[in-house]
Amino acid sequence: MADSKKPRAPFAPWDRRELPGLFSVEESARRVGAYKWCELKLFEALGGWIATVPELDVKMRLGAHCYKHAWHAELWHKRLPELREMNPDRLTVAPNEHMVRFIEALTEPEAPELTIEKLVGVYRVFIPHFISAYTFHLNNTSDITDAPTMRSLRFVLQDEFEDWRDGEMLIQSLIETPSEVDRATNHQASLEKILLAAGGITGSGTIGFNTPEHEGALI
Amino acid sequence: MRKFLPVEDLARDERFNQITMNDRMADQRTAITTDSRPSRAANRIVPSRADASDAARGLMHGIFVGEIQALEGAGRTCWDFTTGSEAPFELKLDMARQCWDEARHVEISCKLSDWMGSEIGEYAENTVLFQAACSNDPVLRLAGVNRALEGLAIDVFTTMKEFGEVAGDQYLEFAEDWMLADEVTHVKMGSDWLRKITENDPERRKKALDFQSVVDKLFSYGGTRSESQESPIGLARRFRELAGFDDQEIDVIADLSLAALEERKAAVLEAQAALN
Ligand SMILES: [Fe+2]
Ligand SMILES: [Fe+2]
Repeated sequence: MADSKKPRAPFAPWDRRELPGLFSVEESARRVGAYKWCELKLFEALGGWIATVPELDVKMRLGAHCYKHAWHAELWHKRLPELREMNPDRLTVAPNEHMVRFIEALTEPEAPELTIEKLVGVYRVFIPHFISAYTFHLNNTSDITDAPTMRSLRFVLQDEFEDWRDGEMLIQSLIETPSEVDRATNHQASLEKILLAAGGITGSGTIGFNTPEHEGALI
Repeated sequence: MRKFLPVEDLARDERFNQITMNDRMADQRTAITTDSRPSRAANRIVPSRADASDAARGLMHGIFVGEIQALEGAGRTCWDFTTGSEAPFELKLDMARQCWDEARHVEISCKLSDWMGSEIGEYAENTVLFQAACSNDPVLRLAGVNRALEGLAIDVFTTMKEFGEVAGDQYLEFAEDWMLADEVTHVKMGSDWLRKITENDPERRKKALDFQSVVDKLFSYGGTRSESQESPIGLARRFRELAGFDDQEIDVIADLSLAALEERKAAVLEAQAALN
């Protein structure tokens, strides 16, 4: 048996975690607040749509996914006080007015024949933007100081990937004609343009800026 | 998407036929009206009944469409109210959880319907369940849907679980047992939120409890559910207790259900006398 008094390094050779991260506590809280706002808007919409889609398999999927996004909203809600925001409602806000407009446009379709539009908005636009925002946060925050956020991000990302695949397969199975392909792509384009103006789900700099002068910068 | 979706706008594929409560009472194949002559000593759905399979299939289809509407109702409560000012965030989280549970119940019901040899749309869909989820007060929805309607679901699942047990149908018994666990959770959500939100608002609480009792009476379906063996569905006292009902509340439902059964028997006698 090894000598129990022998000094060991606090970080084992295989533990390459680093202390520096891109986000201050304040910036992390701002992003988490925006995540909560977006997840809340998403689960409310999914819940509302359940009664408006005639396809039984879609109806049930929306029910299951509604809960997952509510759970994400709950995780972010609970993380906010740990990031020094004792009034979580204060940061549960849209990052800018374009995101408010995006949610309005996303939730506009209601008629039973618009299932393709409903699903495209969620699974081809909103969820891919969640995946990129969460991945950016996960890859740029401090491995050590922000570990609790990272743990939630990993759980949430697993859900997002699974839900994205579910939704994409539903869309592919619903699209049967070239004009339905057009419907899907047109709707996707119109929503993407609003998100472009928003700068992503946490606003400008959601996934950073890939230019040499901006390297590592958030704004 | 609008807030508050009218019941007529529930989206369904072409297999579904939606009817009103009156239409349903007139459908001779449903468990509710099947051979409910007053001369019959026991009407409870048990395997020894000659029409047991038909009655159980009809009841299963009723559960299936009820699960769809419960899913839709919980979803609408996530959407119809503004978070914070009209419905607490945590209440919406519970409703979202209920959506997932009800979605699984629809899946389970589809599997069970297959197992029992019936098809989607074989029986009509009574949309009165969703109507209870259309109130503009979330507390009334929780009283009408979670406490009254899902309280009935506890009774129905307990009866079906017992049916599976007696019939030696482990597939049915297994599924009903799991759904029963979820429904107890949903009824408890209703009981807890009703108490919490109306803690300092006795008027709102009274309004919610009155609404619950109207729905309870409506869902007593003319004596379909009571502690009498003349009712196809029993009253599951123990599981209702787990779900936050006190003894007095259960007694009230028991009395209400028996009165509804007596009313129905008198109406049937009257109808028979008119025919003779
Ligand atoms: Fe259910
Ligand atoms: Fe339920």
